[in-house]
Amino acid sequence: MNLFLAALGFCAVGAVCAATLTRRVRVPVSASLATIGCLLAVGVALQVLITGDSSTFHTAQLLPMTGLSLTLDPLGALFILASSFVGAAACVYCVGYARGAMASRTAMTMLMIFVLTLLAVPAASSVMSFMFCWELMALSSLLLILTDQSHSREARGAALWYGVLTQLGAASILIGLLLMTSTSSGQTFADLSAHSLSLSPSTRSFAFVLVLLGFASKAGAVPFHVWLPKAHPEAPSPASALMSSSMVAMGVYGIIRVGADLLHGGTVWWWVAVALLGVVSALYGALHATTSTDLKRLLAYSTIDILGLVLIGVGAAGALNDSGLPSVAHLAMMAALLLVVAHAAFKGALFLAAGAVERATGTRNLDELGGLIHTMPSTALVVAISAGSIMAVPTLSGFSSEWLLLQGLLHGFTDASTPALIVMLLGVIALALTGGLTAVAFVKLFGIGFLGQPRSVDAANAVEVPLSMRIAMAWLVIPSLVIGVVPGLFISLLNRAASTGMGATVVSPIDHGTGLVVSQLRGAIQPAALLVGLVGVLALVWLVNQRLAQRHARRVDAWGCGRDLQTPRMQYTATSFAEPLQRVFADVLRPQSDVEVTHVTESRYYEQSIMYENRVGDVLEARGYRPIITAAFRVGVFARRLQNGSIHRYLAFGFVALLVILVVVA
Amino acid sequence: MNSTYIAALELAAGAVLVSAVMTLWRRSVRSIVSMLSLQGMALSVVAIVLALHEHEGALFVTGCLVFVVKGLVVPGLLRRVSRLDPRSRESRPLVNVPASLVFAAVLIVLSYVVSSRITGLSPSDATHLVPVGIATVLVGYFMLVTRRRAVSKIVGLILVDNGIALVTFLLTSGVPLIVELGSSLDVLLVVVVLQFLMVSMRHHSDTDRLTEMKGLRD
Repeated sequence: MNLFLAALGFCAVGAVCAATLTRRVRVPVSASLATIGCLLAVGVALQVLITGDSSTFHTAQLLPMTGLSLTLDPLGALFILASSFVGAAACVYCVGYARGAMASRTAMTMLMIFVLTLLAVPAASSVMSFMFCWELMALSSLLLILTDQSHSREARGAALWYGVLTQLGAASILIGLLLMTSTSSGQTFADLSAHSLSLSPSTRSFAFVLVLLGFASKAGAVPFHVWLPKAHPEAPSPASALMSSSMVAMGVYGIIRVGADLLHGGTVWWWVAVALLGVVSALYGALHATTSTDLKRLLAYSTIDILGLVLIGVGAAGALNDSGLPSVAHLAMMAALLLVVAHAAFKGALFLAAGAVERATGTRNLDELGGLIHTMPSTALVVAISAGSIMAVPTLSGFSSEWLLLQGLLHGFTDASTPALIVMLLGVIALALTGGLTAVAFVKLFGIGFLGQPRSVDAANAVEVPLSMRIAMAWLVIPSLVIGVVPGLFISLLNRAASTGMGATVVSPIDHGTGLVVSQLRGAIQPAALLVGLVGVLALVWLVNQRLAQRHARRVDAWGCGRDLQTPRMQYTATSFAEPLQRVFADVLRPQSDVEVTHVTESRYYEQSIMYENRVGDVLEARGYRPIITAAFRVGVFARRLQNGSIHRYLAFGFVALLVILVVVA
Repeated sequence: MNSTYIAALELAAGAVLVSAVMTLWRRSVRSIVSMLSLQGMALSVVAIVLALHEHEGALFVTGCLVFVVKGLVVPGLLRRVSRLDPRSRESRPLVNVPASLVFAAVLIVLSYVVSSRITGLSPSDATHLVPVGIATVLVGYFMLVTRRRAVSKIVGLILVDNGIALVTFLLTSGVPLIVELGSSLDVLLVVVVLQFLMVSMRHHSDTDRLTEMKGLRD
């Protein structure tokens, strides 16, 4: 615990340094302090995961009235591991990245506080400590969104969406948690856990629904996701990496902590609801990711997609546990947690890489990129591995976790109850469909952005980013490789975290070893062996190719398809690549396209110019949120009629109110 | 002795209300301020009569304080402001004078109706006069709403404060000295701030009619 407090202390001192030091030394000093803090936290979290020891810390000094309570337990430690790992990368990245607005006092201080709260939220163990850290996390990230003033209009809109949804969510969580404290003797999580069974079933369900709404909005679950594709692209890259990999995971943490731990599982429909949210989010996110042309927006939608898969895992685990299949439930929960960790790493890496691309080319529009593999080889390699991981390419981390999730979903079929069966059926379908869609999205990202010929001058003149940024990205590739090749080594760490709220079973359903062998369920996979085989096959192909190749090879442009003259305009664009899918899913995406043809004045048979515009908006935003906003706006306009600036009228309001009260009271 | 006490108390409290109504009647800012001064003095008489009857030294001190602050200092300050524009008149109030007087009568009746419960709690000679205080508050508030000049509005505000003070004197034989001191100083401060505000308003827009401030909304 002391080491963890030291880690928090390093981040806090980093924040103070960022707020006080001069511009020149501010970034390196505060970033290195926070990096040390994060690395310490990685160590502490690993230690807790290995030993399974919980420790508690309480001080009455830091928060008035209630004091600050922190507890390190395996579930919290897992999320601390994910945040601190990405936090360290984001801080190192900042050294090379921060300039202009990002190097400002406010931005750096907020980044340090954001990292600090990401470490503290999973450790907070009383209602007030949790809400304090949670709100601090929301506020600091909100200010980070507003950092970049070059897109100030979009950033302001994004911040407004984010602020409103996160505050509504926080209010919902607070009400839910306070409902739970109504029968308990105190407000620490231990008290809540001990007394939650004495609540009436309807109160428990109501509290869970409230808390679920709040956490789901943080986890970007559809239909509370609207803020996410706006806010994540607008934040500076280190901040968006942290938001997209760690902060959204806090939503999942909250659902597991409150639903499984504090409320002890509850009834099956809670978990069906969680899984359904997951199914909808996974499909919706994946679909929008395929059609996005903005690099960071694509990544943000894919965050919704992966978090949806995590929620499917969590929901399936709860439902399976309820139907008396604890070991399969345990497997599903492990899969969900493994996916959280894997996602934190590869999505962090992808967002940092997106920042590098934006820094090098000045744009994040895929239709203006291309050919970056030649000018930015390191970044391209990071993106290739991380995108491979998110596409669940075997021997990378996404594959291990999604394979495990599929095992959990498939093997419950035999004797699960009907609600659990529905969840699993939908889950399998969503997993399969999103797998395909995600592959399209990321083939597009890498193919359009990094291969082919550059589509703009800026993309052609891109220069590789500074060393610190490359180190940070490389650091985040490590988990993708380790979890991908030897998942068995890491999976044992998740055992205790995944058994939270599942009774006393801490026996892992997964056998020891480097691979994933679920002997109970007769499922097994050895990614290391796969890797050896893959390398072998590739070597064989290469050898055969060498032997059979013509002596006099003809050199042409890559992807030139034999043509001699190949211009950038002849390539696929991000829009055209996704066009067939957009057509298939037109009912859900509701794209709007305009074709505007200008003819030459002399003849109608010749075109002077053709303009094609294609927009894919967020249907849920347009159909679900806009009417509410319009209604609120109308009320506002009406209320404005009451105040016309006349001081006499304002005084008259008070006078009439006084008279009415007097008459009513008398 | 007792009948003299009641007569004095009723006379003084009546003077507070009458002077409040008179401020609605008069148009010239100078005479409105004089009415205010009269009211402050009447209020202090109420406090002093109560203090003499109940032998409370603190209330006596409060009464003297009220005399100085509300009878002399505050009206003096307002007079200085009104001297900036000696002919300033409440020429066109939002509700004209006869209608204001009728409305004031309605307010007085209303205050008698609503305060019957309060007087019912502990009927005594002093508490029977509580409706007078409440009526002063309402009349003051009415003046605050319907008069255009900044000076008249300040006067309305002070009428409200005087009415509240009258109610507290009658109900509880005065609040502790320190509280009364605090609220009197508050009023004084408000007057000083508004005086500055008015001088600068006059500097900007050549008038202290608050209607001109409508443009500040957007």
